[in-house]
Amino acid sequence: MTLADSLSRPTRRRRPKRRSQWKGLLYIAPAMVLVIMFFILPVLFTFWMSLHKWPLLGVPRFIGLNNYIRMFSDTRFYSALGFTAYYTVIITIAIFALAFPLAIFVERQRKMVGVYRTAIFMPVVVGLASASLLWVWFANVDSGFLNPLLAWLGIVDLKTNFFASFDSAFFIVCLMVVWKVAGFTMIILLTGLQAIPTELGEAARIDGANRWKRFFYVTLPLMRKTMALSLILSVTGSILAFDQFYIMTAGGPQNKMISVVYYIFNQSFVSFNLGYGAAMSLALLVILVLISIFQLWLLRVGEERA
Amino acid sequence: MKFNKLLAAASLVTFCFAAGAAQAETLQMWVRSGIGASFTKLVEAYNASHEDKIQMTEVPFSELVQKYATAIAGGQAPDALSLDLIYNPAFAAADQLEDLTDWAKALPYFSSLSPSHVKLGTYEDKIYGMPLSVETSVFAWNKDLYKKAGLDPDKAPTTWEEISENAKKIRALGDDTYGFYFSGGGCGGCMIFTFMPLTWGAGADILSEDGKTATLDTPEMRKAVDYYREMVKADVVPPGAASDTGTNFLSITNGKIGQQNLGAFAIGTLVTEHPDIHFGVSLIPSVDGKTSSFAGGDNFVITKGSPRADIAKNFLEYAYSLEGQKVMAKYGSLPTRSDIAAEVLKDLDPRMQVGVDAIAVAKTPYTLQFNDLINSANGPWASFTNAAIFGDDVDAAFATAQEEMQSIIDNAQ
Repeated sequence: MTLADSLSRPTRRRRPKRRSQWKGLLYIAPAMVLVIMFFILPVLFTFWMSLHKWPLLGVPRFIGLNNYIRMFSDTRFYSALGFTAYYTVIITIAIFALAFPLAIFVERQRKMVGVYRTAIFMPVVVGLASASLLWVWFANVDSGFLNPLLAWLGIVDLKTNFFASFDSAFFIVCLMVVWKVAGFTMIILLTGLQAIPTELGEAARIDGANRWKRFFYVTLPLMRKTMALSLILSVTGSILAFDQFYIMTAGGPQNKMISVVYYIFNQSFVSFNLGYGAAMSLALLVILVLISIFQLWLLRVGEERA
Repeated sequence: MKFNKLLAAASLVTFCFAAGAAQAETLQMWVRSGIGASFTKLVEAYNASHEDKIQMTEVPFSELVQKYATAIAGGQAPDALSLDLIYNPAFAAADQLEDLTDWAKALPYFSSLSPSHVKLGTYEDKIYGMPLSVETSVFAWNKDLYKKAGLDPDKAPTTWEEISENAKKIRALGDDTYGFYFSGGGCGGCMIFTFMPLTWGAGADILSEDGKTATLDTPEMRKAVDYYREMVKADVVPPGAASDTGTNFLSITNGKIGQQNLGAFAIGTLVTEHPDIHFGVSLIPSVDGKTSSFAGGDNFVITKGSPRADIAKNFLEYAYSLEGQKVMAKYGSLPTRSDIAAEVLKDLDPRMQVGVDAIAVAKTPYTLQFNDLINSANGPWASFTNAAIFGDDVDAAFATAQEEMQSIIDNAQ
């Protein structure tokens, strides 16, 4: 909501007429109904649940803010937050580091550019669960092909179990996610790149700007909106990460890979503390909204500076 | 194979609906994975000889509890369930199961049904769960590999020093041959079943008698961990074990594992599906050379208010008949009725008898927090077994798990 408001507000002009306001309301009514039914009401209900000790089976009991108090002293919640933050930073940098060059690579008209675009985008249409399972098999020490490949290259020992230690397991998960998501980020960045009028680049070139200068002073500033979009999508997606850890490492060696959502899932559906899970979900929602506002603010400040 | 069965079951159901069969009803039933084929075969035998049908859905064992609980909460629960018996008290206490007391006590053979199952199925003097399958954990070794390694294939090792030595000799046979296997990647259920007997036999336990204190850090547990650590270090355990969350529990079936602790269900699977693997079975030695076992298995429960409770009872009576017991025993489930046990096992593989003998030395933990403490993939026991056996810091593994177990117990009080 907050996001949509702040994104759309500056471009819309307000009309004074009363009648058209009603008309406008009518137009957004279907969307509003959906948002209220599938977002506002569930959030309110989640809040209501978070005030209870709410077992999956049995009768809920009102306990006020106890779930929130417990949250502040729950070290496992903090370590889940810590891991999620770590993952988000690493994976976002990794995705952008790959997607940006790819976008620039496929932006220019060259031979077989359609093939490249399709090939790079292909993993995006694979489901995250299927992709995770696929990579579990790739990296399996007994039957995968990653071990023989890396052993042949002399990088690791043939009998290295990637999922047995945190760093290598984390690396494999990140590799899978980058493989799966980079194509999507690339497409978004590509649309941003293509929206930049070529005259600007040409003008800069005539003024004597070299390739790097043109990228940093012409392309990048004009890409800001696109970057904001893909950054928010990537960060949000990473903070909500669950499937890959659940499927690929089942929480990782010694529970070192429990993301926040994974922890909420465990509390809600393994330990049956639905109320506590609800409280943490709301905390996560607040964190996400704050991060998104911060990112928008960050990119807007840049706009004024430029 | 499995897919075909599923398809067959599905088309059968569709057929029943399409034909509008008024009398024949279909009972929806869930069963956990990892218990071998005994139950599937029982259902097949029942469906072949009865008008009412059972539709069986297999649910991953590590998720059965939460799936069943969410299904109940969502009003989508199956009519009946083969429930790991250690969860029986929790569901009975939540008042979600059909009271079977009168019907059960009227069974002529009620007194000869597995008493530990009935005990766990009883809550506040009412019976909510009835024994369906019984299994104990045992030690198995591959006789062919023993022979190749120059060991006596008919002599079971009786100490862990011996098992470890044998494992090294088997490992020496070559690249893909390993001496020992266990699912060490945080599979709490596998490890309580196969690893815990090492300390039980020596008199130690991870919980106090009343279940209110975690007593993980005992000399016996340290010793057990050391045996496993030493084998991992000696490279006699496949590297995949460190991240196996139970998927490859039956690794011995690939014929390249020398020794493994497994359950009676696995004996059934080996006998019926891998006849080419020659293996021996004995009781699991404890760290001090005595023996022990984990007595597990499933109770049959009916979801409260199920309209098809009569079919469920009918099915269970079939399971208790000599015919039903024989089908289940053939595929590895030990007899639940002691009065006809001898007759059931008469023509079966003699190795099944070891599973029956194990009952005498076996233990079953009783705690309402079993899932949180032991079975959950992210619970303290699951991560402890991985950290202590594969990790660098054994002391820290003990300390962390001990503390976490105690806090889970305290929070639940």
